[in-house]
Amino acid sequence: MTTLITGGSKCGKSSFAEKMLDSFSGRKIYIATMQPYGTDAFEAIERHRKMRKGKGFETIEKYTDIHELNLNDECVVLLECLGNLCANEMFSGDEISIPTDKIVNGLKSLANSVSQLVIVTNQVCCDGISYPDGTEKYISVLGEINRRIAKYADNVIECVYGVPVLMKGELPC
Amino acid sequence: MVMITGGAFQGKTAYALQDLGIKCDDIADGKECVPAALGKARCISRYHELVRRLGDDSISFTEELCRSNPDAVIIIDEIGCGIVPIEKSERIWRENVGRCGCIIAANSEKVIRIVCGIPTVIKGENE
Repeated sequence: MTTLITGGSKCGKSSFAEKMLDSFSGRKIYIATMQPYGTDAFEAIERHRKMRKGKGFETIEKYTDIHELNLNDECVVLLECLGNLCANEMFSGDEISIPTDKIVNGLKSLANSVSQLVIVTNQVCCDGISYPDGTEKYISVLGEINRRIAKYADNVIECVYGVPVLMKGELPC
Repeated sequence: MVMITGGAFQGKTAYALQDLGIKCDDIADGKECVPAALGKARCISRYHELVRRLGDDSISFTEELCRSNPDAVIIIDEIGCGIVPIEKSERIWRENVGRCGCIIAANSEKVIRIVCGIPTVIKGENE
């Protein structure tokens, strides 16, 4: 089963995603896509680590190339978050690359190999501000990835200030 | 507690006035009100602006408000669905609004989201 969780900044997406996997007694894997550069990232990573502590997650840091992961159906996976993964893929090289197919295919193959996949993404498209080209491209690429994963996923949930709003499928908890 | 959220200018205050029996005089504006008096406020609007004024104290203030004024109606914009702001103070504000919003929603028996003037109850009973 694949669940996509979207929403704005600090709206309880992670808490909800972790809650979904609380009852699972097998191997729980957390795929962290945020690179620990800068104090903001460091603080966010620390905060999320504290939140996960004691919940039995193994952490795999994977900033790009999700398709390289080799996991089996004995585990459930929480990937956080698509916004960072997409930015890492787009802006790591000298030129901007367009990772839409790479990320969508990587996530689908991950979803097929594990017992349950929960993907946390971001809504970055609703501030109405015009940005420089690179950022505009990022908004459109992440938008397309979100649409394609939502189409593939069994459940799609939007978090609004911690309240889960069902968009597709059913509320898993 | 009742929480009304949604984007800017979607009809949140109008909903409070028309559907929740709130009077104009009952509303304390988060942008201008005296925070210490909010323990007795019937309704607080623009809570996201109050968060801006309170800074990092907004989290503990919100927790205390939920205890001291559990019947309040809180109106707060959804502001988190954009690109992470470059300005650090804007980033901190946005994150604090998210956290305060989660605290208010968790303490609310009812959360209503308004889009184009149309309310959807996203938590609690839909009467």
